[in-house]
Amino acid sequence: VLFPPAKPGLTSCRSPEKETFTCWWKPGSDGGLPTTHALYYRKESSETVYECPDYHTAGENSCFFNKNDTSIWVNYNITVVATNALGRAFSDPVEIDVVYIVKPNPPEKVTVTVMEDKGWPFLRVSWEPPHKADTRSGWITLIYELRVKLEEEIDWEMHLAGQQKMFNIFSLRSGGKYLVEVRCKPDHGFWSEWSSTSYIKVPDYFHREK
Amino acid sequence: CGAIPISDLLDRASQRSDKLHSLSTTLTQDLDSHFPPIGRVIMPRPSMCHTSSLQTPNDKEQALQVSESDLLSLVRSLLQAWEDPLVVLSTSANTLPHPAQSIISNKIQELQEHSKSLGDGLVVLSGKMAPGAQTISSLPYFGGNDIGQDRISKLINFNFLLSCFRRDSHKIDSFLKILRCRAAKMLPEMC
Repeated sequence: VLFPPAKPGLTSCRSPEKETFTCWWKPGSDGGLPTTHALYYRKESSETVYECPDYHTAGENSCFFNKNDTSIWVNYNITVVATNALGRAFSDPVEIDVVYIVKPNPPEKVTVTVMEDKGWPFLRVSWEPPHKADTRSGWITLIYELRVKLEEEIDWEMHLAGQQKMFNIFSLRSGGKYLVEVRCKPDHGFWSEWSSTSYIKVPDYFHREK
Repeated sequence: CGAIPISDLLDRASQRSDKLHSLSTTLTQDLDSHFPPIGRVIMPRPSMCHTSSLQTPNDKEQALQVSESDLLSLVRSLLQAWEDPLVVLSTSANTLPHPAQSIISNKIQELQEHSKSLGDGLVVLSGKMAPGAQTISSLPYFGGNDIGQDRISKLINFNFLLSCFRRDSHKIDSFLKILRCRAAKMLPEMC
């Protein structure tokens, strides 16, 4: 038996750098018929309805808004429409302002080196902001967090680094193998995913345990 | 003691503006906690924000082309535009039909204090910058002291006014952070 499509759902919208953004949706059932989806949006204080400018860049079931299509401090009222031969279904409308959906990419070029201070080893972790995020002009302000643990342990030790792009970790286990990851968050937004893991082995020529 | 460098003043100002915006965000969450999910998705906007007539940049390219004094002028104009409406929010919060009314009321007081101290700091700062920074656009608030008679309109109007403040405090914070990074040219690790 064939049906009109079920209602799709807008699942999330995210901006990695407050300059572009992407929205994703989850289709409902297609009623057994070929079904297409289209995203429409309207900007606050305007009645003009636009269609998604780019369905491809961000992959399936997504709409990408490039720099020219992205304004901040203005609400986008967004709806997804599913259509097949027997009818249409509209998602619940969602309203977003790009400044509140910023989730950066993880920090890059994470480097971990063993340093020594008066005979004691410590780890110097350094990184760069995600290259898409323009921190240099102040357009986006990122704060960072590290986590470190010994390979064999379960729990991570967390360190907030503020806006610094370098952090020293002391009280190391002689001969220990450590895992280090870094993430970042805009001043008013969401934490990025963790960076890929960096591994480092502390030489075991120190005699005292942690 | 020596004069405080502009970069330090901007650093302090952007810390305060950061706090101001964060406060308005938690306040919004406090308010939202009371509305059913559907109600929270699209909250009616009774009108435009009273500051919407002020032309501000609305993307990075535009923002980075604005001069320091013009950016500071925008910041001071926005901040001053909220002096009266914050009083309205403050008096309305006392009788807001909302389970988190007292928390909301306290946070509005905090908003007023942070807003006042930020404004005072910007007076000092603008005195050290180009004359344009002294220009303040007048953005009168015609909403009056009364935010509605019945329970729903009170909550809707309060929520709308707060959403306008939240947006403007984000603008203030963003512009001050751009100014801070421009002033920190000699300290690249700052930005």
